[in-house]
Amino acid sequence: MERSKISVRNLELSYGAARALKNVSMEIRGCAVTALIGPSGCGKSTFLKCINRMNDFVEGVRIRGSVFLDGEDIYDRRVDTTLLRKKVGMVFQQPNPFPMSIYDNIAYGPRLHGIRGRQELDGIVEEALKGAAIFEETKDRLKKSALGLSGGQQQRLCIARALAVRPEVLLMDEPTSALDPVSTRKVEELIRNLKKKYTVVIVTHNMQQAARVCDDAAFFLAGEMVESGPGDVLFSRPKDRRTRDYVAGRFG
Amino acid sequence: MREGMKTKQNMLCPGSVMADRKKKAVVEGIAQAVFGVCASFVILVTASITVYMIGKGASAFWKVGVKEILFGTVWKPTAEKPSYGILYMILTSAVGTGLAVLLSVPIGVLTAVFLAEAADKRLAAVVKPAVELLAGIPSVIYGLLGISLLNPLMYRLELALFRDSPGHRFTGGANLLSAALVLAVMILPTVINISEAAIRGVQPGVRAASLALGGSRIQTIFCAVLPAAKSGIVTAVVLGVGRAVGEAMAITLVSGGCVNPPLPFYSVRFLATAIVSEMGYSSGLHRQMLFAIGLALLIFIMAVNTALTKIVKKGAENGG
Repeated sequence: MERSKISVRNLELSYGAARALKNVSMEIRGCAVTALIGPSGCGKSTFLKCINRMNDFVEGVRIRGSVFLDGEDIYDRRVDTTLLRKKVGMVFQQPNPFPMSIYDNIAYGPRLHGIRGRQELDGIVEEALKGAAIFEETKDRLKKSALGLSGGQQQRLCIARALAVRPEVLLMDEPTSALDPVSTRKVEELIRNLKKKYTVVIVTHNMQQAARVCDDAAFFLAGEMVESGPGDVLFSRPKDRRTRDYVAGRFG
Repeated sequence: MREGMKTKQNMLCPGSVMADRKKKAVVEGIAQAVFGVCASFVILVTASITVYMIGKGASAFWKVGVKEILFGTVWKPTAEKPSYGILYMILTSAVGTGLAVLLSVPIGVLTAVFLAEAADKRLAAVVKPAVELLAGIPSVIYGLLGISLLNPLMYRLELALFRDSPGHRFTGGANLLSAALVLAVMILPTVINISEAAIRGVQPGVRAASLALGGSRIQTIFCAVLPAAKSGIVTAVVLGVGRAVGEAMAITLVSGGCVNPPLPFYSVRFLATAIVSEMGYSSGLHRQMLFAIGLALLIFIMAVNTALTKIVKKGAENGG
């Protein structure tokens, strides 16, 4: 079996007295799409944010266990979260472009990491926009505000912005839940293309979407990871009764 | 006949969704009218102030001449051959306000960042009421403190700096620099409060996006949050300028009061202070001139407001 890109061991997370993640262990394959499914409040988004340590900013949070990325524990004390988040990009539920031009949105990340050269930035911006399949729509208005784009375009812009720092892993937290069906289809197409170069972990409420885009899937319930494995197996022949009930639409 | 039926129907069938049009229209109409009256009251006040000031102030411009007033440098309203040039006062107001804003905005915005993004909640809990208190202190108190604390220090600085220049007229520390410092402190609470609100109003997604791209907290604040709060911060500057330009009480006490070009260690007179200090004994054309100064002040602040608002709008269009 190939080595996992991300390997989670006994991850525990609590806010004060509330346990949000209970002893979660799972393997995430590289250059594949892994979908995290489960009802609201099951901990799947919290789990996602553990992979780039965005939970660090939540007040009163306590995290135990390990998350190995390419064999390095990202919860080790020596970890530089800046380097970690450069390697593990994130796309949020609500499209959240900066109130700046399209160009400056994409160039934001590279500039943070010290890239200043005009030509180099131009190259990165074009490459990122092409990578997120939004170059053709935006190439003539790079200097215009990103807030003038439609919701679907904004979300693809946010994906491009994440790609611009050349990550290896892309975390997506319900990336299409605020989008219309046409934009959703475009983003899904994009996700299927992205896995050629990136490891994608996506949280979604939408089971059909998970089935359409994922290679692997994991089912979360009440802070536990109930079952994980290849997507077709999880959706058609789940081992656990709770997974079967959820996939069959009996609750959630 | 139909209206009657409808009311009856409503009474008979409590579940009916048919409207009692007449009653609804009356209530909506009254509400509309009340809002309208309140809103037009503001317009009325602004318009009448402007019209009144133009009416009172324009007569002096008419009699003395726009050029003589705006570009004349000699202010001798009570001389036998009176002269009514207010150029130095205009420049003093502009330079003094500009200096105060330059001093106050960096400090104010950074304080606002501290309060809004507070790393240290306990310290923030002390700073916040202090800022509010600062805003509530009457301006004349600032003037008293300026006289008793700032002016002596400024005088010592002046003595040290101009020891070897016999041409310098010593001011005892009451000069443009003192006035600018006092103004800076006075507009600080405005700048802090408005900027803080602007920073808090930035979408949380903006912060999250920057952090998730690997930005540090400081990078996130300066590269993402502050640019996103830009228009609110410009509003803070506009209000600060407004307060500084119109302020008279405190700076009457610390600025010296002679009509001079606005150089740091010169005793100077601002537009607003001229009105305050001369109104008591003025009469005739001199009195009309003071209204003309008031008009100049009004136009000055309107111009600054319009210019800054234009800048913000333009920035927003070009992707800001």
